Amino acid sequence: MSDEAKGQDTQTPSEGDDTRRAFLKVGVGALGAGLAAVVVAPALRYSLWPLAEGVEVTSGGDEFVVVGKRDQFGAVPVKVDIFADRVDAWNRTKNVKIGSAWVVELDGQLHAFSSVCPHLGCAVDYEAESDKFVCPCHDSAFGLDGAHEAGPSPRPLDQLEFEEQQDGKLLAIRFERFKQGIEDKVKV
Amino acid sequence: MGVGKKLIGWLDERTGLVALIKGGLDEDVPGGARVRYVFGSVLTYLFLQQVVLGILLATYYSPSATDAWASTAFIQDRVAGGWFLRGLHHHGSSVMVVVVVLHLLQVVLAGAYRKPREVNWWTGLFMGGLVLAFALTGYLLPWDQKGYWATQVATGIMGTVPLGEPMQHTLQGGAQYGNLTITRFYALHVFVLPVTLTVLLGAHLYLFRRHGVTPPASLSDEELARKTQPFWPNQLFIDVAAMAVTGAVLVWMTYRTHGAELFAPADPASNFVARPEWYFLFLFQLLKYFEGPLSIIATVIIPGGVATFLFALPFIDRSESRAAKKRGPVLAGVGLIMVGVVVLTALAVVADANNEHYQEGLVAAHEDAERTRELAAEGVPPEGGTAVWQNDPQYAAIAVFKETCATCHEIDGRGAEEAPSLTHYNDRAWLRGAVREPRSLTYFGGTKGHEEMEAYSVEDLPDEQLDAVIEFLLELREQGKDEPDPSAYDAKLAKQGAALWEDELDCSGCHEIEKGADGVGTPVFWGRGTRAWIARVIRNSSQADLYGENAEMPAFEGKLSDEEIAALADYVYAQGLAD
Repeated sequence: MSDEAKGQDTQTPSEGDDTRRAFLKVGVGALGAGLAAVVVAPALRYSLWPLAEGVEVTSGGDEFVVVGKRDQFGAVPVKVDIFADRVDAWNRTKNVKIGSAWVVELDGQLHAFSSVCPHLGCAVDYEAESDKFVCPCHDSAFGLDGAHEAGPSPRPLDQLEFEEQQDGKLLAIRFERFKQGIEDKVKV
Repeated sequence: MGVGKKLIGWLDERTGLVALIKGGLDEDVPGGARVRYVFGSVLTYLFLQQVVLGILLATYYSPSATDAWASTAFIQDRVAGGWFLRGLHHHGSSVMVVVVVLHLLQVVLAGAYRKPREVNWWTGLFMGGLVLAFALTGYLLPWDQKGYWATQVATGIMGTVPLGEPMQHTLQGGAQYGNLTITRFYALHVFVLPVTLTVLLGAHLYLFRRHGVTPPASLSDEELARKTQPFWPNQLFIDVAAMAVTGAVLVWMTYRTHGAELFAPADPASNFVARPEWYFLFLFQLLKYFEGPLSIIATVIIPGGVATFLFALPFIDRSESRAAKKRGPVLAGVGLIMVGVVVLTALAVVADANNEHYQEGLVAAHEDAERTRELAAEGVPPEGGTAVWQNDPQYAAIAVFKETCATCHEIDGRGAEEAPSLTHYNDRAWLRGAVREPRSLTYFGGTKGHEEMEAYSVEDLPDEQLDAVIEFLLELREQGKDEPDPSAYDAKLAKQGAALWEDELDCSGCHEIEKGADGVGTPVFWGRGTRAWIARVIRNSSQADLYGENAEMPAFEGKLSDEEIAALADYVYAQGLAD
């Protein structure tokens, strides 16, 4: 091992010494910053990876899923659970619950609402006494047609896409999630 | 005054921060800054980096027996930069072990363990032990074959020492490896060990500042004073330069190896060739020399003796001077330990290099690793790491076989014998058997309605003639493929077989060999045994060129999907490839 500082003399500091010190100080800063960057730069990419383009950490349930027979739905809202195969980061799980929907028939028109409150994501309930959908968290209330009637929710309940399958015998829903807290219904 | 300075002034007035930092940096290094003092700083840097990397890994890693492997594979193969950060963390532990040893040797050479620095020496030794404990606990966390089996050996050793069993069961959370093993190792690795090491490091640094560096014994007090330099920036620059060199080596190692290895998920039923990480190989090798009740010599007595020797070093060393030449016996003792470690490690490496069984096992392990990580890209079923094999199309075929085919056919003993065995189906030995003993349970003995084919005895058909006929059958099979493989049969023998078929044998009385011909309730041999042929049999074996009116097997067309039939045909076809 070579000794770095042979012959240095701290008793008689000179101008050359000062320059050298300054160089060493800058060197410490530069090397230290370089060392930190070795970890920090990939760490940023790594941590922000779920946001990167083309990355889908959770997937599944993009298709229409049969939730029941068409004739079981009527004027009283029915809550249906939606099951699908789901990929969640490293796991692939078959037939798990990915969400639920309220299905109601109003003047011959079928509606399927996501049970996720557009305000902050609590699960909306049906309240039989008032015949309304009510969010248990912040008391937003919605009519059976999904219209926003009271409370802080910025928009009506989110209508989900659905289709009637097998000559209208079965009802299938495509479950999607939408951004919360904004006026427009935008897919997440 | 700039805003920055104002802000610092504001903060300093309320915290005394400037004085604290000054106090930390203002330190005289008697005799001047030296390269030999860098090891402690490099270790501190490595430890801090490991902490940061560990936290980053923890943001994706899931410590459970079912999730650990899958989440590690996710980090390694999916997350951007995951392999790099995991690689740095993995190799960082190796580099730490190396630098710990260098630090220890420097301290021994300088005599820095002597009065008044004994407590510092002991905190250092404890921390060295902790670094090894970090390595041991971290090794298991990916829950891959390597970590699982190597750690089994380590905890197994623990179980064999006196009073070891309760210790082992406490550490692994029960009598067997499982979720509790991984949560305990995880808690040790990310909470207990880091906190303990941090406390010890604090004590170590405090004591170091109290006593200062141990300068070369050859310098007089006057010389030391004259050559004194400040820690900041002189020594710190050398320290940071050494850190940079270490960091560069680490990055190079990580790139060169594409990060840390990740083997197939831990499979308790496999026979993985377990080896500890390289820095534990000497202990692994030592174990080979002590059998049965003597193994405690290798597991406890020798390591314990070495540790005791090192801890007692300040008392063993009674020499007057710190000069190296006055401390011959102590240096020789430590030197002997190092030589022992190096020699044992080398012996283990050489033994493995010459161990064919180990090398084959390693190749197989790498193949499994590659395959399982490919399969993991689709997501690992929640049953756990080994369930990743369910993503393998062949696994799906096995499942269908079990459900649908095994009621009549068997493969490797699993299944019934009411139809021909598919174990090694259509390989040479299977085909020979079909001619020699068609009435046995392995062939048509258990199949309803199949009674016509008679056995060909050795008298009527000598073995060498039969072999020729078999090659001819294989040639006929290859002809049915889109891309016949001429190496799948012996052309010369096949020619003899064809002549025999034509002139001497009775087979052609029932079996046609022409393309497009119909059988008489018997399969035509042109193209018989290809994947496509097997798939056709599964679909509907009553076609005229297959089993015709003698078909007993239900037609699975419509009952199984095209993919299932194709996968099944692949699976059955693969049974014959083993020979």
